[in-house]
Amino acid sequence: MIDVILMLFGEAVMFFGALGILRFPDVYTRLHAATKCDTGGAMSIILALILIMDAPGVVRAKFLVLAFLIAMINPMVSHAIARGAYKYGVKPKVVVDMYAWDNP
Amino acid sequence: MSRVPFYLKERLGTLRERVLREEWEASKLPSWERLVLTWAVLMAFWVVVSGSFIINNLALGALVTLIIAAFMRDLLTEDIRRSGNIIEKLLYFAFIYLPQYLVIMAFRLLESNLKVAKNVIFMDINPGIVKIKTDLHSDTGLTILANSITLTPGTLTLDVKKKLDETYLYVHWIDLETLNREKAGEKIKGDIEEWLKKVFW
Repeated sequence: MIDVILMLFGEAVMFFGALGILRFPDVYTRLHAATKCDTGGAMSIILALILIMDAPGVVRAKFLVLAFLIAMINPMVSHAIARGAYKYGVKPKVVVDMYAWDNP
Repeated sequence: MSRVPFYLKERLGTLRERVLREEWEASKLPSWERLVLTWAVLMAFWVVVSGSFIINNLALGALVTLIIAAFMRDLLTEDIRRSGNIIEKLLYFAFIYLPQYLVIMAFRLLESNLKVAKNVIFMDINPGIVKIKTDLHSDTGLTILANSITLTPGTLTLDVKKKLDETYLYVHWIDLETLNREKAGEKIKGDIEEWLKKVFW
């Protein structure tokens, strides 16, 4: 029961992340949708897979290592993309931009 | 202390903070404890990834991870703050600090997913880039803090800048609430920084 709930929740979150990439206005807000929804959706799908399949404990521990790697690498890559886009010259559509105040 | 003029008080505060930091820098973990910690982490990773418990496999893994740990012992464990006995500290970390952090981050990730879904449906965004100050100084602690800020609802770390003795984070906030630095820092960091300051300096 709980694995079905986790799987459906992960797929719904992934769907909203893809919709956010299509609907948000600029790079940084699109990165919000991509990072958070991909991390949460992938981790909940992995938890559902751990509960569903019948395998020895070592294989399930491998899935946990995968979840840990996703949770560490995904925000790092989004930070790299955002910083690279700003250095390249993509202007954000924001109300206030303190980063441009300090780096004229 | 109340008789001291305010400019001197500020100066005294910064001086005391600096002395504290020098003390921490002098009291890192001893080198053999760093070696053993790195070895244990690498050995656990080897056992989980290889997935077999034959004695040959375990012996090969122990040898290789010992050689790697002798080279790389400063990479992971240089920033850990030393306090008291190492066994006591490890037990505290494994049974109190780590579950606390995992539970906090799991609920925040759930909340941020729901919030992104809400933003996608209603499009009520008001983005802005704010600058906040942190009390952490080490590289490992800053990395974990920036990753946690990216996974908390509505925020994304843009850049980290170190000036002399202080560290600043630039955060892209999708629903701007305040421009005050202290209030924004308290709202964005929450209790994660308090947690990280116990382990890293």
